[in-house]
Amino acid sequence: MSGQRHATMIAAVSLSLTLTPLAGIFDGLGWTVPVLLVVAVVAVAGSLMRSAGRGQGLQTLAMVAALMVLMTTLFNGGTAIALIIPTPDTFAHWLGLVGHGINDIITMTPPVEADGGILFLTMMGVGVVAILHDMFIVGLRTPALAGLTLLTMYLVPVSVAPDATAWFWFILPAVAYLWILGDDNLRRVSRFGHRFTGSGRLVGPRFPSPLAVTARVTGAVFVTLTLLLLAVIPVSTSGLVDQVAQGYGDGEGPGGEGDLGSLDPWAQLSGSLHRPDPFDVLRVTTDDPTPRYLRMHVADVLTNDGFHPGDYGELDSLDSLDGGGEVFTAEVENLALVDQVLPVYGQPTEIGLGDEWGVDPDTGVIATEESSLEDVEAYTVHYTEQDWDPGVLAAAGAVSPEDPVFERNTEHPDVPELTEAVEGIMAQSGAATTHEKVLAILDFLSPANGFTYSLETADAGNEEAVLDFLETKKGYCQQYAATMAWMLREADVPARVAIGLTKGTYSGGVWTVSSSNFHAWVEVYYGGLGWITFDPTPSQGVASSVSFPWAEEPSEDGGAVDQPGTDPEDAPSTAAPSEGPTLAEELDPRGQEQAEAEAAAREDGGVDPAWLALLLVLAVPFIPALWRSGLRRSRLGPRRLSAQSAWDETRDLAVDYGLELHDSFTPRQTAAAISAAVPATGEAVGALASAVEFDRYSGRGADTTALPVAATDLRASLHRAAGGRRRLRARLWPASLAERLTEQRGRAAVRLTDLRAKAPWPRRSNGGGDEAVTGRP
Amino acid sequence: MAFESSPARQVRQPGPLSPQEFKATAEAILTNVEWVIEGKSPTIRLALAVMLAEGHLLLEDVPGVGKTQLAKALARSVDCSVRRIQFTPDLLPSDVTGVSIFDPEKRDFVFKPGAIFGNLILGDEINRASPKTQAALLECMEERQVTIDGNTYKLRSPFMVIATQNPVEMEGTYPLPEAQRDRFTARLAIGYPDVNAELAMLDHRGEVNPLEALKPVCDGDTITRMVATARAVHLAPELKRYAVDIVSATRTNAQVRLGASPRATLQLLRCARVLAAMDGRDFALPDDVQQLAVPVLAHRLIPTTETTMGGGDTASIVADIMRHVPVVSQPGRY
Repeated sequence: MSGQRHATMIAAVSLSLTLTPLAGIFDGLGWTVPVLLVVAVVAVAGSLMRSAGRGQGLQTLAMVAALMVLMTTLFNGGTAIALIIPTPDTFAHWLGLVGHGINDIITMTPPVEADGGILFLTMMGVGVVAILHDMFIVGLRTPALAGLTLLTMYLVPVSVAPDATAWFWFILPAVAYLWILGDDNLRRVSRFGHRFTGSGRLVGPRFPSPLAVTARVTGAVFVTLTLLLLAVIPVSTSGLVDQVAQGYGDGEGPGGEGDLGSLDPWAQLSGSLHRPDPFDVLRVTTDDPTPRYLRMHVADVLTNDGFHPGDYGELDSLDSLDGGGEVFTAEVENLALVDQVLPVYGQPTEIGLGDEWGVDPDTGVIATEESSLEDVEAYTVHYTEQDWDPGVLAAAGAVSPEDPVFERNTEHPDVPELTEAVEGIMAQSGAATTHEKVLAILDFLSPANGFTYSLETADAGNEEAVLDFLETKKGYCQQYAATMAWMLREADVPARVAIGLTKGTYSGGVWTVSSSNFHAWVEVYYGGLGWITFDPTPSQGVASSVSFPWAEEPSEDGGAVDQPGTDPEDAPSTAAPSEGPTLAEELDPRGQEQAEAEAAAREDGGVDPAWLALLLVLAVPFIPALWRSGLRRSRLGPRRLSAQSAWDETRDLAVDYGLELHDSFTPRQTAAAISAAVPATGEAVGALASAVEFDRYSGRGADTTALPVAATDLRASLHRAAGGRRRLRARLWPASLAERLTEQRGRAAVRLTDLRAKAPWPRRSNGGGDEAVTGRP
Repeated sequence: MAFESSPARQVRQPGPLSPQEFKATAEAILTNVEWVIEGKSPTIRLALAVMLAEGHLLLEDVPGVGKTQLAKALARSVDCSVRRIQFTPDLLPSDVTGVSIFDPEKRDFVFKPGAIFGNLILGDEINRASPKTQAALLECMEERQVTIDGNTYKLRSPFMVIATQNPVEMEGTYPLPEAQRDRFTARLAIGYPDVNAELAMLDHRGEVNPLEALKPVCDGDTITRMVATARAVHLAPELKRYAVDIVSATRTNAQVRLGASPRATLQLLRCARVLAAMDGRDFALPDDVQQLAVPVLAHRLIPTTETTMGGGDTASIVADIMRHVPVVSQPGRY
């Protein structure tokens, strides 16, 4: 195999290795065949053009052409000539596929089925990357740049599905990159001809270079230090990825056409809110003058990642729905929703849908298992909306801890910082009843306390996103709702997050709900009353938000939130943020006090891990010194003392103080070298050398009693003779330690080479084989 | 005859010498020889070591630096039978080994021993003799016996050949074949004296040839006893390993076509023992081995053609090997 073909192979294989993280976002392994086909086709095209002796320009053209032909063959939609020549119609078809793919990426949650638009996008992307990769590694011989292509390849799954991409997926791309660099370097070095070891011996190209040892030690130390620091200092790396992921929120093409996939409500919500061109999803006609939110999902399973919907397992029949109060009727026309839950108002009492739909007894979510909203073009809902008097809520008792609702809806991960914050809020407000607690937290999250609505969330470097939100005070409904529910759970109030749609805009007797109306809010369980809805998100941020009258504090009037009962006629304008209540109205001095109290609580809280980390980092430079002095004590201590151990110490001392000694020196020569450099050491080093000579060569053993003293004398003499910097170095960074470490590394490398030499399979090299450079004919 | 009396002499030897006696005797010989050849004490020391190791010595250098002087001085310092053979192109093997000639009185063939029947043989300019004659001498050196007309004659003990030769590049020489060079324990070069030594030499040589005035300082018996003493010197396993490492390094060196033989290892350590004894020790040190490596190993190596063309010689290859072979093969030890 020629060098270039070898490099081509490495380029293709390394890229294939980097594709492994895609396994996290695709369902099954069916995607690997077409994707690897792309890599192979590009590599073969480039390689053929190269072996024909053509330049880089033609090589790139050949690879592009090969990619085009392959893509045309696989995705022509019947528009191509002879299956391989694309026509303008083919490109139009591709554009459509791209639109579908982007839409699917936005709305679907991994793992997804690899077909249609997503597969097209993936193959096209991999193809382009493969061409660049091949150019960097083989054509332009700049393998370092291949890191960019590999990184691009890695970032795709990471940004599309940060959760599905575990950290260890990074290992293979990293190994691939190192392989590329290492192989290129080997090729570069081999071109100069024979290689020599440090001792001037001719070796084959696979023999580790003496410099490699230093590089490996440096690398290992660096990685270890980094890992240690990472383990100690709380660092969140999700920020970058989050921001990259948000960049994928925009796209084109009509929504809702995507395939039926496993939709993540949060991804759907976030994707819809970030969409620059909202599209209509529902058209509703209702006799309710003030419709509230259309509830879809209930997220009541709380993990460190936040709230997620549980499994809507055993569904009760729709017939089980009932309820009192005034019944409204809504006609809902589905324009674009594809989900397995039904958007409904308030408490539905009757729904005009078939048996395939049912109601989840725990959450009240109307869901289906086999069917989908896609198959529902319109439906009728009869429902009641309950209004609660603040007085009734305030009087409601706490929920008994034995209640299954309590247990299920107060479970939360242990985040000490959050517990502390909630305790602070509760202590500050003196809240005791459920309702007081709810109001205290609503207060805390109000704009008066500095919380602002923003679709751009910031990363403050905390491990938990909820802490980021509390610190940056910037977020949208997802953060608001999840944080409020979590804080309530911390305060032992059962709470959960509901995800759905706001009422939309009103015109001509019809409410039009668009993709920008996706919203999340909170449901709190009151003992004896049931689930009550609250919305902590500032109303100016939410298109067509609704205020709940019971969310105001009973003692105060002129509430901080919007007046209830917005006239349908006004509704279209409520989408505009400027129409919302002003911040001044919501100003509450208590919020600031709470913030101060929280800050104070933080300062008191124990030893900051950052300090520990700093201490550890500061201790690192002293490790060699400690190690070295431990070694000295053990060698000269009565238990291990021998002429040999004292001699080891002698040699190391000499090396520490900068004397150059070689292992081909006999003890006498070593002693002579030391005393030539520092004449004052003559006597001590002479005694040590003759002791080791006797011990080693006379067969009679040596008298060791005077050796520790001699070693101490030697050290003192060397110390006196050395300059200031040399003394400091000998103390802190003893050269002998590094020497011994290097030696061990070298021995390990030699052992590895020996093992490789014994391996049954032959090792190939770039330089035309190892056999030519063993030195002997 | 002289060669028959040697076994009888050996019987009288009273056992090995003490380290101090050994050292003193060796010093006496050295001082004696140094009186003739100024400023070359390390070379003389090595020459004596080879002699006490029952080895043969090859002195190789340009004409006029004192090869023959050294050989003669060494021989004269010991009171034993010394024979000198001047090798010339017309020298015959029988001149070296001896010949049976017909005695008309006894009406029988009588063996006339050649020059080889002595304790110390000086083979001057050995590379001027024809290969046939060289081979005759070298066979005697290895086997320490001569077979002529079916009769085997043992050579004397101690038996040592000190041969001198001019560097092979010189005209009119027959270079020793590689296999025969291996028979010599060591090859020494004397080299030019430094300025002071040369001045001193001029003063001494002004009146008389110092060689004429040289008196023996020990006899053949003592030499035999010294040889026995040196054989008892302790060799530590580490030291043996060191010697083996050095010799095997010559075999794997990229500049060498043919490395040193196992015989070289044996002789290296045998000489190291003598050097240790000459230093008054009863155990050998790597320092002893290091001093001997170039003299004992260099003449046995055959360099690659590239090395020869590049002007490299085997002595510098061995010196280079000595700089890289660790004294203690155990990793992490020094």
